Amino acid sequence: MDEKTRTRVGGPEDPREGLEAVVALRRTLEALEAAQVENAFLAGWSWARIADVLGVSRQAVHKKHAARIKARHPGRPPGRGGA
Amino acid sequence: MMFTRFTDRTRRSVEAALDEARMLGHDSLGDEDLLLGILSADEGIAAGALSSLGVTLEGAREASEEMLSGALASIGISLEEVRREAGEAFDMRIPDNRRIPLSPAAKEALVEARKRMRRMGDNYLGTEHVLLGILDNEDGAAVRMLARMGVAADTLEGRLFEFRDRATG
Repeated sequence: MDEKTRTRVGGPEDPREGLEAVVALRRTLEALEAAQVENAFLAGWSWARIADVLGVSRQAVHKKHAARIKARHPGRPPGRGGA
Repeated sequence: MMFTRFTDRTRRSVEAALDEARMLGHDSLGDEDLLLGILSADEGIAAGALSSLGVTLEGAREASEEMLSGALASIGISLEEVRREAGEAFDMRIPDNRRIPLSPAAKEALVEARKRMRRMGDNYLGTEHVLLGILDNEDGAAVRMLARMGVAADTLEGRLFEFRDRATG
């Protein structure tokens, strides 16, 4: 393997570094999903519409995010836009 | 049982470790979180030895976050940019309704802690035993985190026994 191949982005030469990147990405993905669902909710999107774009069921999105978002934004009515 | 003979302080440190893990977005409680928990409990021989070498809770949290952003940077992702794009709603914190299991590395550290306790002839499991259990995993996140802070496992272990000798007279 030449130097260029070994050091290219996404192909770290240390397997541990590669695996740790996966863990970091998974954790960041979870936080990013939570943030973007919250952003959509606050923009007035319905759970159904959010679920549609994420490609999962409305129930799945609601179960995963509703309690957290409602606790963070008490008094906000559920989104209606585009339902 | 994994938690028998724990002192109150050890128990508190594990609870604090869970809080730290949750705050930092760790979806399982790792050996580095056990270390953060010991620092958070902020008393006892283990915390004393750590602070004598300049290891603080704040510093350890920062090192943990740096390890995360460093891992992302290695695949070309900037945590700062992700944060900026997502806005105020972005928070690494694990939601309260999600349970955080002990990682295999953390379990192993607690098993090693118990062995250390027996070998040292103690009948209680203190934070010093947990710290020694953590240090036994040379490849673990906690040991690498300490190295980032300029502290070698051997040095810390030596310091721990000095503090212990002093405490028991």
